[in-house]
Amino acid sequence: MGLVESGKMPKPLTTLLSLSRKYSLWVYQWGLACCAIEMGSAFASPRYDVMRLGVIPFPASPRQADLVVISGTVTDKMAPAVKRLYDQMPDPKYVISMGSCANCGGPYWDSYSVTKGVDQIIPVDVYVPGCPPRPEALLEGIILLQERIGTEDMSKRWRGEPIVVS
Amino acid sequence: MAKLDGEQVVRCEPIPGYMHRGYEKLCEVRTYPQVTTLVNRIDWLGSFANEVPFILAAEKLMDVEAPPRAQVIRTILFELSRLGNISLFLGDLGIQLGGLTIGFYAFRDREFVLNQIESATGGRFHPNFDRIGGIKDDLPKGWIAETKRAMDRIRRLCDEFEELVLGNEIFAARTRGVGVIPSDVALSYGMSGANLRATGVDWDLRRDACPPGLSYDLADWKVWTHPDGDSYARTWVRLQEVRESTHIVDQLLDSIPSGPIMAKVPRIIKVPAGEAYVATENPLGEMGYYVVSKGDLVPFRVKIRSASFNNISVVPWVSRGVIIPDLITIMASLYFILGDIDR
Amino acid sequence: MNPLSSADTTDETAEAPADEAVETVEVDERRQAVVDQFTELLGDAVVQSHIRPGDDVWIRVTRDAWATTADVARNRLGFTFFDFLSAMDWLPSPFGRDMDAQEDTSGAVAVDDADASPGEADADAGPVALETGYAGGDTRFQLLARVYDVRNHIGVTFRADLPDDDLAAPTWSTTYLGADWHEREVREMFGINFIGHPHMVNLYLPGEFEGYPLRKDFPLLARRVKPWPGIVDVEQMPTDGDEDAGDLRCRRRCRRQ
Repeated sequence: MGLVESGKMPKPLTTLLSLSRKYSLWVYQWGLACCAIEMGSAFASPRYDVMRLGVIPFPASPRQADLVVISGTVTDKMAPAVKRLYDQMPDPKYVISMGSCANCGGPYWDSYSVTKGVDQIIPVDVYVPGCPPRPEALLEGIILLQERIGTEDMSKRWRGEPIVVS
Repeated sequence: MAKLDGEQVVRCEPIPGYMHRGYEKLCEVRTYPQVTTLVNRIDWLGSFANEVPFILAAEKLMDVEAPPRAQVIRTILFELSRLGNISLFLGDLGIQLGGLTIGFYAFRDREFVLNQIESATGGRFHPNFDRIGGIKDDLPKGWIAETKRAMDRIRRLCDEFEELVLGNEIFAARTRGVGVIPSDVALSYGMSGANLRATGVDWDLRRDACPPGLSYDLADWKVWTHPDGDSYARTWVRLQEVRESTHIVDQLLDSIPSGPIMAKVPRIIKVPAGEAYVATENPLGEMGYYVVSKGDLVPFRVKIRSASFNNISVVPWVSRGVIIPDLITIMASLYFILGDIDR
Repeated sequence: MNPLSSADTTDETAEAPADEAVETVEVDERRQAVVDQFTELLGDAVVQSHIRPGDDVWIRVTRDAWATTADVARNRLGFTFFDFLSAMDWLPSPFGRDMDAQEDTSGAVAVDDADASPGEADADAGPVALETGYAGGDTRFQLLARVYDVRNHIGVTFRADLPDDDLAAPTWSTTYLGADWHEREVREMFGINFIGHPHMVNLYLPGEFEGYPLRKDFPLLARRVKPWPGIVDVEQMPTDGDEDAGDLRCRRRCRRQ
């Protein structure tokens, strides 16, 4: 496993690992506001059925999750909790910021108590715009993330460099 | 935050504020039409219902009244948002008490209501459709028949809920006699909506103090109350409320008058100086806006009286001495929406 | 802009202007009876009242009688339903257009425009003329509370003046249990203290938050950093004849470039 830790892995192994990570995303639902309901529709309703994408939306705790969907308004009071949640997740971890509020503050851009974007606290991989985004938009975001995971160079991730989706 | 003695709750104090977005301040820096965009997001399950009291308050100050057609369509959409909201409550209650099935059913059938809201207003969640003096657009073609079908679906969901949950022995054992709130305490805490009616107080703003601008008088319906005041009663009253609501929609769909959908209002809305408090019976209870205007483009002060805030402030009182599983039942049956508590 | 004046007052006999007298021909007997009952039970504590026929009634009481008012309303007169309790800050906004006024006060002050529209110049200088709402008022802060009688379907809005140097009032939470949270909210939003409240801690904001957000002199800092794009869209109607506002807007835009 020394190879894995240093990130210098043979290409076939990387592909295999990426493929398997791509299609077994355990996603932790961090529902905060209106978007939580749309996320609930996307993840729990039979109409949108997220499991067909290889996403399992029921981890018991963030410690078992690969992906967290921050959906909704992050307030300054909530921000420490979001940070702690992110710290608890094991690497490699991904974040989808769902909805305008989590992206940039949204309609509360001038509020005194809202954090203007969750990316001020934790790094974000995919932004899903909308207020709230439709469930389909969230699924699209998840597919984009999967593409990204598929093409990701693990050694770069290990070194903490930004990853560009090709 | 709960202080426990074994499994018994000594004192339980909800800590709100994690969703506090400062609505009342933000309303002071937005023009009247912009406020509706914002207040949509207070109770995000019944968004349209949040706009209506604010619009009605502004209409009252401006002395404008929407034309009859707009009033009826407004009332229909108001009731649809109630259905979208409470049908999710029925599912959520099942999930909280360990019966996942009804949750899936509720999500499935709720989509039919959301589709109707979307095809009429363009927004699944936050329609922003209500305007001072009317509504934004007329209904699309074929909407009435579609909506009636959706109402049938919701009524079927109610029947399923009744069989699957209300008739369930375990459910009855977990909710009957749990979290009993007497009517004087409920009034003193300012609880409203189904929570208040479940304590036996026969009071519904739609029937008793309907503000001008909504046309509930065109429909024939009943306000249900329950004498027990426990979690079962709250659930039962909500279930009946959904049923009545589908009947209101059905009747109103048949009685939409023809005519314009907007009254004559100036393009730039300046509301004359004055104060008005308008409350409507929202899905969660009484929601009211106390609007103070100084004749400007923006309101001088908006006090938002949201239902969940008062409904949840009863939790420290009702949770003394209960055991932890009952606390879940109580919270689920009181039914709150975070945004509606914190605003 | 018409001043908000009380249309019919119970305690004084000031003649109303002719046009207002015409409007108040309509008499709301139910609401007048409510005012009479409160006046009878509270005596001098009722300072002023205002009735909008068929709609609502406002009663202003003295601060010392604030707790007694709740007691009378709930236990004697049957206003058992507690609606809300809040406060008002009547100070006109000191910030101008990027906050909530239509005029560009802060911009004008910043560039030392002498020709800023009248009334704004003395906003910084002297005490600001407060314009209070129905049932009058003399102080910047006012308490605002509403209770309802669910049997007779009638609601009353109470208000009470609070002197600036002593922002405190007796608590209602012993009478109306629901006032507990509302008073906590008012405390952190306006800085008004409630004497006798059992558990006065912040409800919404984190403990280290500074300032009282709903006071009019609390700035929204995001608007300081980035001017509000919204109000530029709102063009004046040609008939408004308000050329100053247009000028100011042009000037502001030029300054920004």
